[in-house]
Amino acid sequence: MASVESQSGDVIVFTPKASKPPPPTTVGVLGWLRENLFYSWFSAIVTFAALYLIFITFAALYQWGIADAVWEAESRRQCLDASPHGACWAGIIVWFNGIIYGRFPLDEQWRVDLGFILLVLWLAPFWFPRLTGKIGIGITAVVFYPFLAGYLFAGGERGWFMQTMVLLAVTVFITNWLHIVVSMVTGRSLREWVVGVTGFADKHERLHKYPMLGFQGIVLIGVYLWLGNWSVSEVNTNLWGGLFLTLLISVLAIVTALPGGVALALARRSHMPVIRVSAIAFIELFRSVPLITVLFMAVTMMPLFLPPDFQLNKLVQAIIGVCLFAAAYMAEVVRGGLQAVPNGQYEAAKAMGLTYWKSMNLIILPQALKLMIPNIVSNFLGLVKDTTLVSIIGLYDMLLMLKAAGQNPIWIGLHTEPLVFGAIVYFILCFAMSQYSQALERKLKTTR
Amino acid sequence: MAAVIERGARDSRSTFAKIVNDERNRSIFWQVIVFGLIGYVCWYLFTNTAANLEARGMSSGFDFLGTNAGFDIAWSIIPYEPQDTFGRVYLVGLTNTLAVSLLAIVLTTILGFIIGVLRLSHNWLISTMAAWYVEIFRNTPLLLQIIFWYTAVFSVLPRPKQSIDIGGIGLFELNNRGLYFPEPQPGDLFWITMLAIFVAIATVYFLAVWAKRRQLTTGERFPVFWTSLGILFGLPIVVFLVTGSPLAWSIPELKGFNFQGGTSLPPSFLALFFALVIYHSSYIAENVRAGILSVSHGQTEASYSLGLKPGWTLRLIIIPQALRAIMPPLISTWMTVVKNSSLAVAIGFPDLVSVFMQTSINIGGHAIEIVAMVMLFYSSVSLIISAALNYYNTRVQLKER
Amino acid sequence: MSEEVVLSGGEEHIASAISEEVVITFEDVNKWYGEFHVLKDINLSVRKGERIVICGPSGSGKSTLIRCINRLEPHQDGHIVVNGVNLDANVKNIDAIRSDVGMVFQSFNLFPHLTVVENCTLAPMWVKKMPLAEAEQIAMKYLERVKIPEQAQKYPGQLSGGQQQRVAIARSLCMNPSIMLFDEPTSALDPEMISEVLDVMVELAETGMTMLCVTHEMAFAKKVADRVIFMDFGEIVEENAPDEFFGNAKVDRTQLFLSQILAH
Repeated sequence: MASVESQSGDVIVFTPKASKPPPPTTVGVLGWLRENLFYSWFSAIVTFAALYLIFITFAALYQWGIADAVWEAESRRQCLDASPHGACWAGIIVWFNGIIYGRFPLDEQWRVDLGFILLVLWLAPFWFPRLTGKIGIGITAVVFYPFLAGYLFAGGERGWFMQTMVLLAVTVFITNWLHIVVSMVTGRSLREWVVGVTGFADKHERLHKYPMLGFQGIVLIGVYLWLGNWSVSEVNTNLWGGLFLTLLISVLAIVTALPGGVALALARRSHMPVIRVSAIAFIELFRSVPLITVLFMAVTMMPLFLPPDFQLNKLVQAIIGVCLFAAAYMAEVVRGGLQAVPNGQYEAAKAMGLTYWKSMNLIILPQALKLMIPNIVSNFLGLVKDTTLVSIIGLYDMLLMLKAAGQNPIWIGLHTEPLVFGAIVYFILCFAMSQYSQALERKLKTTR
Repeated sequence: MAAVIERGARDSRSTFAKIVNDERNRSIFWQVIVFGLIGYVCWYLFTNTAANLEARGMSSGFDFLGTNAGFDIAWSIIPYEPQDTFGRVYLVGLTNTLAVSLLAIVLTTILGFIIGVLRLSHNWLISTMAAWYVEIFRNTPLLLQIIFWYTAVFSVLPRPKQSIDIGGIGLFELNNRGLYFPEPQPGDLFWITMLAIFVAIATVYFLAVWAKRRQLTTGERFPVFWTSLGILFGLPIVVFLVTGSPLAWSIPELKGFNFQGGTSLPPSFLALFFALVIYHSSYIAENVRAGILSVSHGQTEASYSLGLKPGWTLRLIIIPQALRAIMPPLISTWMTVVKNSSLAVAIGFPDLVSVFMQTSINIGGHAIEIVAMVMLFYSSVSLIISAALNYYNTRVQLKER
Repeated sequence: MSEEVVLSGGEEHIASAISEEVVITFEDVNKWYGEFHVLKDINLSVRKGERIVICGPSGSGKSTLIRCINRLEPHQDGHIVVNGVNLDANVKNIDAIRSDVGMVFQSFNLFPHLTVVENCTLAPMWVKKMPLAEAEQIAMKYLERVKIPEQAQKYPGQLSGGQQQRVAIARSLCMNPSIMLFDEPTSALDPEMISEVLDVMVELAETGMTMLCVTHEMAFAKKVADRVIFMDFGEIVEENAPDEFFGNAKVDRTQLFLSQILAH
């Protein structure tokens, strides 16, 4: 009222009072401390107790892991002689290569790196804004990349099938990147560009696929001339291991689980009782039993199931087990995504006269997939953690390599340090993914 | 219109097209195909298996359950001797799995609720610490944690001679062979104390009912909590003392290189138990936090503005609503605890998978029967738990328009 | 606002019932959210039986003002005295004030896990130690007054928005409060439900209840208010009797606001 002076009849002009700064004890560092740490005498005690707890924890960790740690030694004996109560990181440094690559031959490890880089390059376009054909790129990654990577890792002679798939994979990889470059430069897709350059633009729409096919044919011939006789030496799967094997199994599992999960989820929603019941039985069985029983089943029962002249090695058995398991879980993620698509979308698709498969492929699945991405990421995170279980059936994944360090005669008894190191590696991987998945979820919530 | 009529006419000419395009016929066709495919796969696997078993001279069927197992099991809830049968081994594994799972479920739920509430603490330091607890234990593999507790904690403890005396009273001894603690040995009159415990529980129940009824009729409240606490502890203790303390304790004592008397839990049990409790408590903490946050702040404000104190608001308004959101994921976490207890096999704790699926298959074969029996156990647990979950959901579902 | 709300029982102002006794006093009250100065030197006194309507653009501090009265928001500077009790961090005082001051929220805030009648009996039973039978009798009395006794055994989720808000009013009345606060009680309602809630509020005003009401329902203000307060930028810009306020606003900011509101 103070700002208003009444003068009968005339209009009073209102000017807001200037804001005053709040009392100094309620804002800034002091205010924050009062608000969050010392708002009552009890909370002050709790704060000091917590600070003390943090201090002794970090002091002990620092003393063990850094101050008293040994970074250079040739055996655990030397470590213990140098510092009996410190961490022996020297052992980790020596074992580092094994923890990452398993027993993959040193000279051939570039193939693992290359396979990983190719995967990153293949998937990188997903993070490019305003790029068309991302779904196509994703499908090529699922269909062709495994063969290229598989040959890189395993090597040896290529049969006609493997030869075809490897050459096709390289061709597709090159055309994908040409598409990206063309899109970035001209703003048109590779197909439109090729059609334009070859002068097919004014021809009938139906003919437009031919220049693109021709273009891909030329690339394929080039790739054949370039890589037709290329080969790398064979590396037995026994030698695969470490973080490489962990990621290999989890990536393969998630990649196969996606189509498997979609199929199972659609089957579960089917109106046909036989199909629905089979899907439910499969999904519920695999979701109700522990992964380790599935792995044991894979190694003990698969040899009995298959004809005697066709036996799989342990790695393949384990991968099949993990994939079946992952597909059952993915089916539930997909089901959740399909349920999240508003009913109106289904009805609109039907009203447009689309068949079941067309409405799924064009309308429902693309939307559901977008909603599912956060859950797929956290599912993958779970798989990375669950992959440690293959160490129980004797595959040298990262966990078993870490355990092996402590059983090596030179480093015998080195248990704690490898496990701590492994925990840190897993934590960084999983924490990053869970943060990413949560960020995606928040973004989805705000954009919807 | 003309086109539609023409098309209808064309369809009626060809009965074949009519049959093929009929929705029901198509559905039957696809189902027959799928059924046939599944049937073929089953038949293929079955014939292969039969041929393989015959080629290896292996028998099938459940007769082996009656035969002698012949191996020892390090720790069991129910008595077991090496000359017992495979059937007994199944029971031993099953009870061991249930024992460690149930104990872990109780503890992990309590710890999870505590961490979840701390996560919402007004104190920034406490909530941040709780958040890091959750992130660290949730984002490292459970198996790695189990192995860590086993090899880096419980296996490197001192020998029995240098046991760690927990509490400093000589009753709980921790060493590299496990945790030794006193074993109660009830005397003749101990049943009276047991009876007193049941009487106390019944009294407390009726007290609660009476207090509730009294509040409804007169509005007066009765301090049920403290009275119940008094009755629960007081009555059995008084009866126990009056009957002459009929309970002896077998106390672990160091004789030579090991402890005699008392009872013990092996390091593998402790490692599995600790890892299960800590790992799953981080998941439960997140559920609890999300559940409490799901109750809108408006509920608290409305309750405060009616004059309800913070404690009552928590008890009457927040907790009943939060529980609806917390229970379903909590129950499925319990299921996960049961499943994950199977990781015991990595550190040699004799759970169902370890003694039955690993040792028994290695010694006696019969992989198919054993895998089926183990999966049957886990599926049954899962069925029971999801039935409980469904029952809970239908009971508490909020009535909406 | 957007549609003309028709109140039953005509438009003329209902009789005032103001006594001399002052029940709420604001004395140089300041409040900040972090760095944001939300209430600036507020001075206000409310007498028993007085009916005040507070209006103003969003973010002007009007909701914060009435939420300070039952200390859902603490103020950092100045004094607020309610029924002779000074509001500070004293927990006993706050409990006493809250059970004597009823509040109705924009988003109803009914307890969804309790039936309508349980919503109404909860506080009397726990705060006033009332037997169930008595509490239910009172609950039914007020449910009848808000004209929904037949919904007593339903859950809030089964009611319409207008019905829920009427239950919320009944729930507050069951505590027999001496002051009622309304925080935009009709803003979350569909137009056709607004008048059923306003009618209940008019009837409540006729009983002589002290009411502070944040609302933009000008028909309601004209009919019920003894005083209309216009707030902006955290201060009281203008206050006056409704006739004077709507017919002859003194301050340019008030005129602008009224023209915007009435133009709709």
